[in-house]
Amino acid sequence: MTINHHPSDETLMRMAAGALGSGPALVVSVHLEGCAVCRNRMAHFEAVGGAILDEMPPVPLAADLFGRTMERLQVVQQLQTKERSVNKHPELGIELPRAMQDCEVGPWKWLGPGFKWSKVKIPGSPDEKVMLLKGRAGLHLPAHGHTGLEFMQILSGSLADERGRYFPGDLDEAGDDVDHRPVVGQESDCVCLAALEGDTRLHGLLGRLLRPIVGF
Amino acid sequence: KAVLPSPEELIGLIDAVARTQDRNAFARLFGYFAPRVKSFLMRSGLEDAAAEEVAQEVMIAVWRKASYFDPGKAGASTWVFTIARNQRIDRLRRTSSRTADNLLDPTDEPDMPPSGEDIAIVAQREEGVRKALESLPIDQLTIVRLSFFAEKPHAEIARELGIPLGTVKSRVRLALNRLRTLLDSDI
Ligand SMILES: [Zn+2]
Ligand SMILES: [Zn+2]
Repeated sequence: MTINHHPSDETLMRMAAGALGSGPALVVSVHLEGCAVCRNRMAHFEAVGGAILDEMPPVPLAADLFGRTMERLQVVQQLQTKERSVNKHPELGIELPRAMQDCEVGPWKWLGPGFKWSKVKIPGSPDEKVMLLKGRAGLHLPAHGHTGLEFMQILSGSLADERGRYFPGDLDEAGDDVDHRPVVGQESDCVCLAALEGDTRLHGLLGRLLRPIVGF
Repeated sequence: KAVLPSPEELIGLIDAVARTQDRNAFARLFGYFAPRVKSFLMRSGLEDAAAEEVAQEVMIAVWRKASYFDPGKAGASTWVFTIARNQRIDRLRRTSSRTADNLLDPTDEPDMPPSGEDIAIVAQREEGVRKALESLPIDQLTIVRLSFFAEKPHAEIARELGIPLGTVKSRVRLALNRLRTLLDSDI
C-alpha cells in the first residue's frame, strides 16, 4: 500500500513536542500505525526532544528525593496490573486501529442521506472534536472551508477533492486556506477518522449541517 | 565535576535496570535524568514542587518500563524525553495518567530484541539530529526549543519574544527545512 498524503512537518513536530491536542494526535497516531515513513520522521522529531533534554541545565532536587522514589517503587511494583478495557466499541462494520483501542466509540448515527457519523471519545479529553465519518459510494459532501486545521485519516474506501485522491492510510491535513468539496469514491463506502483542532469550525453547508447534530 | 554518562552507557544502565532491577544503575540514571527532567518541566511552566513531583513520576516510569525500552527505536534521552512529555501532558490537561501514554506510545509491548544494525541506525540518527540542531542559527533554535517546552501555540511564542507571528512561523519553517534535509539524506 503506497501512502501519498502525510501529516506536515509542523504537525509531527508539535506531536513530538506534546503540543498537539489529543483529537488531532489520535488521528496522527492512526496514521503512524500504518506509515513507516512518518514513524521515521516522528523518531527524528522526538530525538530533537531528547537532545533538548540532554542540554537542560540540571537543577537541584530535594536531598531525599531518590530515597523517597525507591520507597515508592516497592509499592508501585505491587500495584502493577495491566487493566484491559471492556468492549467500548459497538459493531461498526470496520476494524478499528490499535491507536483507538482506549477510545469510546459510539454507534453509527444518521447525518444525512448516505452519510453517517459516530462519536469518538478519548479518555480524559471529552471536549475533543473527533469522529468517524462514513459516506456511501459516490456521495458528494457539501463544499466547506475551515477556520483552523482539519485532520482526516482514511480507514477504508476512498475520497477525492480538488487537491487529490485519498486512499486507506492517507492523512489529509486541511487548514484555513483550503476550501474543498470531498466526494466518496465510486468503488465502495468510505470510512474515515476526522478531528478538528481546538476551536476550528467548518463553514458552509457542512458546518450548518454538523453543528446541531454533532455539536461542532 | 562528574563525567556525564555517554549515550551508550545510558542504554547499558537502562538495560541493567530491565534485566536485574539493578539499583546502582537506577541511581546513576536518576542522578543524570531527574535534575534535567525537573529543569525541563520547570521551563515548561511547572512550579518547583510540581516539577519535582512529576520528575519523580518520570523516574518511576523509567524503572517500571525499562524492559520496554528499545534502543533500536530511540536513544536513552529521547525515550526519557517521551516519558516526561507524556507525564507533562497528563499533568497539564489533568487527565488520568496513561492517557497520553496510550495515545502517543501505543506499541507498549516488548517485541523482538533490536539488532545491532537497528541500534547503530538510532545512534546515527540521534547524532545527526544533534548536529543539525547545533547548525541552526540561534533565532531558529530558540523557537524550536520553545516549541518543545510547552503546549504553546506559535502566537503565544510570538508574544513572548515580542516578534510578529509571521516571523515565528517562518523561523519554524526554516528550522524544519534544515531537519528535513537531514531526514531526506537518512531515508
Ligand atoms: Zn505518513
Ligand atoms: Zn474539510
